Amino acid sequence: MLEKKTKIYWLFILPGCLFLAFFMLIPLFSLLFKSFVDEGGRFSLANYFALFESTYFKQVFLRSIRLSLTSTVVCAFLGFPTAYYISKYSKNKGVLMALAVFPMFTSPVIRSFSWMVILGKKGIVNDLLVKSGIVSKPIGLLYNEFSMIVGFIQLFLPLMILSLIGIMDNISEDLNLAAGSLGASRLGTFRHVVLPLSIPGLVTGSVLVFTGCLTAYTTPQLLGGTDTRVLATMIYQQAMSLGDWTQASVVAVVMIVVTIAVSSVINGISRKLNPTI
Amino acid sequence: MALLELQNITAGYDKNVILKDLDFQVEKGELVSLLGSSGCGKTTTLRLIAGFSTPMAGKFMFDGKDYTQVPLNKRNFGFVFQSYALFPHMTVFDNVAFGLKMRRVPQDQMKKEVMEMLETVDLGGFENRFPKEMSGGQRQRVALARALVIKPDLLLLDEPLSNLDAKLRVKMRVEIRRLQQKFGFTAIYVTHDQEECFAISDKVAIMNHGVIEQMDSPSVIYNHPKTEFIARFVGFENFMDLKRTDRDGIYVLSDGSRIQAEGGKSGESFKACIRPEDISIVSDGTDAPNPLTGEVMVSTFLGKRNQYNVRTAIGEFEVSTDQESVYKIGDRVTLSMTPGKIILL
Repeated sequence: MLEKKTKIYWLFILPGCLFLAFFMLIPLFSLLFKSFVDEGGRFSLANYFALFESTYFKQVFLRSIRLSLTSTVVCAFLGFPTAYYISKYSKNKGVLMALAVFPMFTSPVIRSFSWMVILGKKGIVNDLLVKSGIVSKPIGLLYNEFSMIVGFIQLFLPLMILSLIGIMDNISEDLNLAAGSLGASRLGTFRHVVLPLSIPGLVTGSVLVFTGCLTAYTTPQLLGGTDTRVLATMIYQQAMSLGDWTQASVVAVVMIVVTIAVSSVINGISRKLNPTI
Repeated sequence: MALLELQNITAGYDKNVILKDLDFQVEKGELVSLLGSSGCGKTTTLRLIAGFSTPMAGKFMFDGKDYTQVPLNKRNFGFVFQSYALFPHMTVFDNVAFGLKMRRVPQDQMKKEVMEMLETVDLGGFENRFPKEMSGGQRQRVALARALVIKPDLLLLDEPLSNLDAKLRVKMRVEIRRLQQKFGFTAIYVTHDQEECFAISDKVAIMNHGVIEQMDSPSVIYNHPKTEFIARFVGFENFMDLKRTDRDGIYVLSDGSRIQAEGGKSGESFKACIRPEDISIVSDGTDAPNPLTGEVMVSTFLGKRNQYNVRTAIGEFEVSTDQESVYKIGDRVTLSMTPGKIILL
């Protein structure tokens, strides 16, 4: 009886699986396939060797990782106290959570345009800097790595905050009280109890932010310049502007591998820090 | 002087007052239970003593010092939670060592004390386990060890056994009592389980609506409850309204008949109560004290005993007897109440 039921319920996930197979797995494998064959149609790693010999690609590759890591670290530092406050101390949790995720309701295009207005030569930031005499003439805040990081942080900070709140809500207040009754100060309680128990949320958040930054296209396209290309914009350039689909596939595969590798490294570190995850 | 003294404590959340002008004292070395149904304020009282919250008014004196505003991490009180509240990311050793680590006890001494404490609670060899790898009873003992290893000036236990099964509960309460007598620590124990609290405590404080109705040794509470609430709580099922007469020890019941009871009490009219097992069923015409005739309404077989609900002129009485003769519904019977067993409230 039970077995029969299990078989029927299995059908429920069939539409989703079929959808993913058609629209994700098949394109993905054709991409993989394309990157591993040479012009004659034989298996070859030549495309990869060629890519990694190119100085331009190396620059783009390192820049992508650097920008994504920086954004992830900044999001963690900004997100942790915010999430802790919302989870443990706020009285209007619903309102604050809505505010935290509010940026996600607008499209990345609109957000990027807002940053152009704010960070431009005639924008509010340059205005203030010039008026207060810190700089003599407007400085270039836009179309560089700085503006890209700013865009990334605004885009992905909500994911970090949400991941952390989800975990922090599950830390029982009794644990904090227990630590206190055993002599731990507020700081000690934070260091020995709250922080280690929040690591799973920090990991989920970091993986989401990092992969989000690495694969984002709109933000680097609009807020970055021609000399600050990242992997996602490079794929677009290769495929659409230069028509080199093979090269674009190779870059895409590299991007996927980096994403998976970094996620597993972050997971590994967190397991060391908190063995019960 | 008492070791711990709550003076006119008022406490609550926002506009919700839970404790009102509460006075409570504990002597050094005593195990005192706070007993009551949920919402009576017993847990609020315990958390206030622990320093988890501060009172709206009143004073908390401990060992002659004002502790009202002393922060929780400076109180040196051990607390055992209903949920155990073990740190899930730490081993048993690290859980128990936590308090000593916060006190910066040297490594060697810390290790020695933790291992000794684990032996004491019968958990030697478990030091590298994580809490989730242990049973409820074992976690409970880790929680006890963690609270005891810091040599607390006071041990606070918040329904520590309520998540265990009945058999383990009995075993653990003996264990807690043994540890308490071994180390001689002062403890406050919160529970809603009457049997548990009578078994373990030197004194029991019964709380109702944020007030302590009676605080005495378990046997005094059991045999001489002071209020109707407590009488009902400890198993008195039968209540009567009495009026005083000119003669000592003789009272008038609501139907005008007379009843003999021991002990004096001021006032003109009051309530009296008696347990079902202190009423016997006697044959007609015998010279039994306080006879009362009635009709059997309900008859319940309880194994060793029979229980009858008997309707009399002054209300329904519950009688529990081990007599061999069995009465049927509708039988006329005569009840007899021993004067010494009637408690005046």
